[in-house]
Amino acid sequence: MTGYLARRIPSALLAVLATTVVASYLIHLVPGDPVRLLFSESQATSEAQIEAIRRSLGLHLPLHEQYFLFLGKLLQGDLGTTIRGGQPVLELILGRLPVTLTLASCSLLIAAAVGLTLGFFAAYKQGSWIDTSLMVTAILGVSVPHFWLGLILISVFSITLGWLPIASGDWRSFILPSVTLGLTSAAIVARLTRSAMIEIFAQDYIRTAYAKGLKRGVVLSRHALRAGLVPIVTMLGLQFGYMMGGAVIVENVFSLNGVGRLAVQAILQRDFPMIQGFILIFSLVIVSLSLILDLVYMLLDPRIRKAT
Amino acid sequence: MIRLLLKNRGARIGVGVVLLLLAIAATADVLTGYDPSQMRAGPRYAPPSLEHPFGTDQFGRDMLTRVLHGARLTLVVGAIAVSISMTVGLLIGLFGGFSKGFLGGLLMRGVDVLFSFPDTLIALAAVAVLGPSLQNAMIAVGISTIPVYARIAYSAVAVESNKEYITAGRAISASRARLIFLHLLPNIMPPMIVVGTLGVSTAILAAAGLSFLGLGAQPPTPEWGAMLAEGRNAFTRAPWLSTFPGIAIAVTVLGFNLLGDGLREALDPRQRRMLR
Repeated sequence: MTGYLARRIPSALLAVLATTVVASYLIHLVPGDPVRLLFSESQATSEAQIEAIRRSLGLHLPLHEQYFLFLGKLLQGDLGTTIRGGQPVLELILGRLPVTLTLASCSLLIAAAVGLTLGFFAAYKQGSWIDTSLMVTAILGVSVPHFWLGLILISVFSITLGWLPIASGDWRSFILPSVTLGLTSAAIVARLTRSAMIEIFAQDYIRTAYAKGLKRGVVLSRHALRAGLVPIVTMLGLQFGYMMGGAVIVENVFSLNGVGRLAVQAILQRDFPMIQGFILIFSLVIVSLSLILDLVYMLLDPRIRKAT
Repeated sequence: MIRLLLKNRGARIGVGVVLLLLAIAATADVLTGYDPSQMRAGPRYAPPSLEHPFGTDQFGRDMLTRVLHGARLTLVVGAIAVSISMTVGLLIGLFGGFSKGFLGGLLMRGVDVLFSFPDTLIALAAVAVLGPSLQNAMIAVGISTIPVYARIAYSAVAVESNKEYITAGRAISASRARLIFLHLLPNIMPPMIVVGTLGVSTAILAAAGLSFLGLGAQPPTPEWGAMLAEGRNAFTRAPWLSTFPGIAIAVTVLGFNLLGDGLREALDPRQRRMLR
């Protein structure tokens, strides 16, 4: 177990380090002069002002010095200030992060609850009309874009029925976005759960369990589901990453003030300190979550737990 | 193989949708009497009618014409994005899987690191660097899924390169390039084709998402994601403005998903047996 951790933690650190390198050099990959690009529309900026901004971003230093400067500031919790408005980037992002994390977690819960149940049920009824219709629904679900589903939900539940106000600011404003994000993922989860469970149902030990007279419920929950949980948990972990990505779009559909909305504005305004901060924080969240999930994985699967 | 594919009902629908889309894309110019950016082709915000089956938008442009032209853009976006990720991914996978040396290992470690990030994040980072435009969105979406293709190519290479025909090729001292491109490549193509087909739908969704956010195609380009974003502002007044592009995206993505699923079943004998 310690051996597994000893391999897993350095690789997570490597991912974080790689992200800091990418985030710090991002601005140099921009075709043309990023500072000029920023002020292309406002003619009033003089050469001296452009030079001052270049210096404030540290762009006049050699590349390796820029990186270490970036890293040094990062370790002190300083991600710089936004170009427009001059607000501290880290504070802005951390202020909005709870919204995005809440959205992603609620969506994951919906995806897991709906997807697991339907996938398991479809596998159990494999080949029946229930299975077929569930899988048809699932493939439709994977094909509908988040942003359109979101608009449809708004029109039905907020505009026509008037049940859920948009952007009310309290917990109700999370319901529709989470359902939007969760349902698309639920379709993926259901499809994968079904194929994982079908494979397990065909295993010899399931037949043995039935043969020795165990009740169906016991076989399904203790033997089949337990074995099926390992690939499913991995998949849910991946889904959380996709939720964080999908949140960027869904927040914009529902005008939810999360990090994703901030990021899109920053990209449109080409506000590089903000973009760097967004990439860094999002990556950190995703890397640490996948690390936590790997630990859960280890607890679930004795083969991994005991292989040291 | 085609017969196997067409045995599957889902795959038949998928083939039909994709062929229909190709036909629409090829003939979009002559299908209606309007130009996609022609303003005042009809009254503003006209609901669907015989004259304008999908209605008109805030500039009186014919929505049917715009949606049909969107098919062309969308197919191009899907094809280019997948070509980018497929080509780069295949090269990385072939190189990483075949040369077991330090460089190959390093390459695959890099791919693993990238793979742990959601593709939306990678695509957003790429757009942030390149700047918002349809062309850059295609490139960004292409880059964002490279790790997926590289990994699948890598594992296919790892399986194939232990087989006897490769050993035999080595024994008669075939060059490395010959082994990779003449012997290995044809044998790893089936899984790559499946992933590529499913990848078209992912790419279309991702690119439409970027355009919806304003980070891809810019108005007045008749791109479905951008049209949805435009229609969203007049959502209560003219729901057809967002409904038809939405349906178009969903049907296209569904078509490629069904085709990809069908191809997987036709190409993977193990799964075929499992199904029946």
